[in-house]
Amino acid sequence: MSFFGFDATLPKDRGHSTNAPGFGQQRDAFAGLGGAGAGDDDVIDFDDTYDGLGDQLDETDDAFNDDTFGGGPASQQQIGKDFDFAGQTSQISNTIQEEQMLYQARQPPPQQQQKQYAQQAPKPARSGYESYHDPNYIPQLEARADIWGLKPKQQPAPSRQYQNQTPPAVAPTRKMMSLEEVEATMRSQSYTESPAAPPVQPYQAQHQAFPAHVQQQMQHGQPQFQGQFAPQILQRPQQHQPPQPRPGPPPASRPQQVHAELPGHAVHSQQPQPQPQPQHPTILQRQRPQTNDHAGPQHRHVPPQAPLQRPPSQPRQILQNPNRLSGHGQPLAQSGQPAQSGQRAHNRAPSFPAPGMVITHPEQLLNLSEEQRAAFLEEDAKRAKRNHKIALLSKDNGLMTPQDKNFITRIQLQQLMSAAGSLEGNGSEAALAEDFYYQVFTQIRGAPRQSPHQPASQFAQTYLFQTNSRYGPRRQGRGGDNHMQRMEQQVQRAVEAAKAKPKGKQLVIEGSLGKIAFSNAKTPRPLLNIKRAETGDKHPKPHKSSVADRKETLRNVESVYMTLMHMEDHERKMPPPINEDSNPEAIQAHMEWRSKIEALHKSLWQNTKIMEPINPHSLTPHPFISLLSHAKGKKVIPRLFRHIDEQERITVVTMIVVHLDSLSVVSHSIASPDEPLTPAIREEVELFSQAVMPPLFAHISEAPLTIIMGLLGLILDRTNLHIVARSKIGMSLLTILISRAELLKQSAPEIVAADWDQWTDLYNRLFEIVEPVLPLIFPGTANDTDDMYVWQFLAAMGVGASPEQQQRLVIGVKDRVMETVTVSKALPAEMAGARLANVNLFMRAIGLDVELLG
Amino acid sequence: MEEKEETHAEPLDLVRLCIDETVIVKLRGDRELKGRLHAYDSHCNLVLGDVEETIYVAEDEDEDEDKPPTVKTVKKQSEMLFVRGDSVVLIAPFAGTTQ
Repeated sequence: MSFFGFDATLPKDRGHSTNAPGFGQQRDAFAGLGGAGAGDDDVIDFDDTYDGLGDQLDETDDAFNDDTFGGGPASQQQIGKDFDFAGQTSQISNTIQEEQMLYQARQPPPQQQQKQYAQQAPKPARSGYESYHDPNYIPQLEARADIWGLKPKQQPAPSRQYQNQTPPAVAPTRKMMSLEEVEATMRSQSYTESPAAPPVQPYQAQHQAFPAHVQQQMQHGQPQFQGQFAPQILQRPQQHQPPQPRPGPPPASRPQQVHAELPGHAVHSQQPQPQPQPQHPTILQRQRPQTNDHAGPQHRHVPPQAPLQRPPSQPRQILQNPNRLSGHGQPLAQSGQPAQSGQRAHNRAPSFPAPGMVITHPEQLLNLSEEQRAAFLEEDAKRAKRNHKIALLSKDNGLMTPQDKNFITRIQLQQLMSAAGSLEGNGSEAALAEDFYYQVFTQIRGAPRQSPHQPASQFAQTYLFQTNSRYGPRRQGRGGDNHMQRMEQQVQRAVEAAKAKPKGKQLVIEGSLGKIAFSNAKTPRPLLNIKRAETGDKHPKPHKSSVADRKETLRNVESVYMTLMHMEDHERKMPPPINEDSNPEAIQAHMEWRSKIEALHKSLWQNTKIMEPINPHSLTPHPFISLLSHAKGKKVIPRLFRHIDEQERITVVTMIVVHLDSLSVVSHSIASPDEPLTPAIREEVELFSQAVMPPLFAHISEAPLTIIMGLLGLILDRTNLHIVARSKIGMSLLTILISRAELLKQSAPEIVAADWDQWTDLYNRLFEIVEPVLPLIFPGTANDTDDMYVWQFLAAMGVGASPEQQQRLVIGVKDRVMETVTVSKALPAEMAGARLANVNLFMRAIGLDVELLG
Repeated sequence: MEEKEETHAEPLDLVRLCIDETVIVKLRGDRELKGRLHAYDSHCNLVLGDVEETIYVAEDEDEDEDKPPTVKTVKKQSEMLFVRGDSVVLIAPFAGTTQ
């Protein structure tokens, strides 16, 4: 008795099991178990039947069986085939993809499909249901084919064909093949070029001979073959052509003959085997290698006129006898090979209407004359090439439905138009603010100075135009007009909505403390347009605390910035320049722009508070000067200078110069070796010299002598020069003024002598005042490196000084000079050079050199 | 640009005055920031530069219920900070509070 499939049956029962071939054997082994229990005791002796082989088993390393053998012999084969599978699939994967795409793309519009076929091969209209005339046709196969990733449409016909080809009488005479044999056969098929037909036929026969349940078993036992064989099929059309040659092309009458005898043949072969449906997959595997041969190549060479000459039912039957047809197809298959892939794509029509074309074609072609045939083949190759191209190009066709496209287009247009609309509308500030940095960037990068929204609307127009031209012709007669109308309406609505947007973006409900700001993603709540009330200053504010002053100053700064931003915005919207030819509207726009910018300019000037009367006795500094005490106030000056005219610039410079000693950067920045500047002050000074000084310097360096003299006079008269001269900013300003005067003296000697006398007077006054503080003007000790500006000042003073004054200068700073020279000797060469160069700046100005001090 | 704009705008206008100024920001979770206000919005989201963050940590290591826990401060320095508005409790100008 055995549970492991050993032969445990009684001797008398053995005959039964040995007679059962192939798969029946196992069944019998199990069936015999019952008999063994109830059998004769004399005969059944365990020791007799047991051969002791189990004892000889070496089970120590059984754990490694899987390592050694893998998953068993069957799976080993599978591995081998899998490799094949991947390689072969990848070779044709492109084609498969193309074909799938093509198929999908063509499926929905039937007219289009027909057109394509009409071009290629005019043929009788087909319902697509021809296949159903065949009793063996099983529609379900199509679905399964898709699952396998195979060419779905070619399967039904081949299967029928093969069944017919195999005479049922062959089956019993053939020897049964075990599963191993079958597998071996299959492998040899796939690896060698040997004819496939002989091994396959027995297998087919085997199938037919088996009782239904055994076949079921087989099917379940080898599902993996389906996957293995599928790709190979596609690759092997030519391999199996040779084994089926027929001597020479058949006479012209042959087709008729075939036609006559085939019906009977077909019936004959079909009747004995009403194949159960589940069998088909298995059978198909064997058949495909062959069927593809003639179905493929012949199929490809459909002469345009061929189908017209035969009734549709005939070809199908002829197809069922492939041996004859393969002879005809042979020459064509070879000549047509290059075009294969492209052709295949087109032949794979949804309903596989191939049979008619396939059969009739070869004879047709053969009947043609040599050159006609050559011409036809050439034509065919061309067509194939073109179709292949189309297939490549239209790979992604039909991915989006027309509705999808319309939807996307409408969304894009809506966004485009709402953006452009709000730009063009009056409330354009918000829209500008949206891409403010882009606007600034383009301006900085020197982009053509257009109104910033011009490109956008241009783009919109272009886009609209393009879509029009593209969709117009293509969509005609398909409701495209309707879409266009809807789109246009939507665009119009979007534009109107954008224009109708509330101009003010805030709504203050009367009596309420809050207010409602209209905001959306594009125009966020505009919080930066706070307006400083102009009237606020007119109210007398008798007791101004410093905090209130500070706040006031900050408000001023904000209002200046606000106006500046409006001005800059407005400048960006400058209309194109006008000339005599400009139309009135453009001129009008320009005028409006002008008046607006002037109003803004005016309010900017007012907001700087620079024209507030100067009250020398006031405890609080002038509003404009306190503006400069804030970092943002300093930063606003260069921007301010761009927007004000020459006169106003002079005013600004004058105002700063007059209040030089009350500037925080001057009054708070008097450093001594004992008390160096705090980082905050140092930062402030740095910012001032970076932000405010350049415009001042630029202005002064172009100013005429009179202005220079006026400014210097103001400094001398109105400020505490001891403070000014000891601060970096003050000293730099003095340096600028003096050096400008010196330059003018050298470059413009034609200036009236009286002016020079006046200048010399001023200079002398300055010299007298500065001389006492000369030893104190250095911010730190000689080790402090930040003293270049002092040397520059001394140099500027030295250039314009009389010899006597020069001597006094030298005396005033002699100690410092010597110290610096001494210190620089101890420094590394590079730093020492810099320090000495600074000193030399002054020394050279008075005709000396550091070298002389050596 | 329209001359007729209300004198007293919203509270955040005061914050606007502090732009580019040093401010003290009190945050939820016992934190304070001191830094230069670069930007803000209606949610009081802030962008601060050169920030010094002060975190107040209560330490009650002696487990004594009666004694108030000692408060320690942890300071952090950041070059630039984005502060989400929902944690902002208070914004005050630094100069206004100290000078």
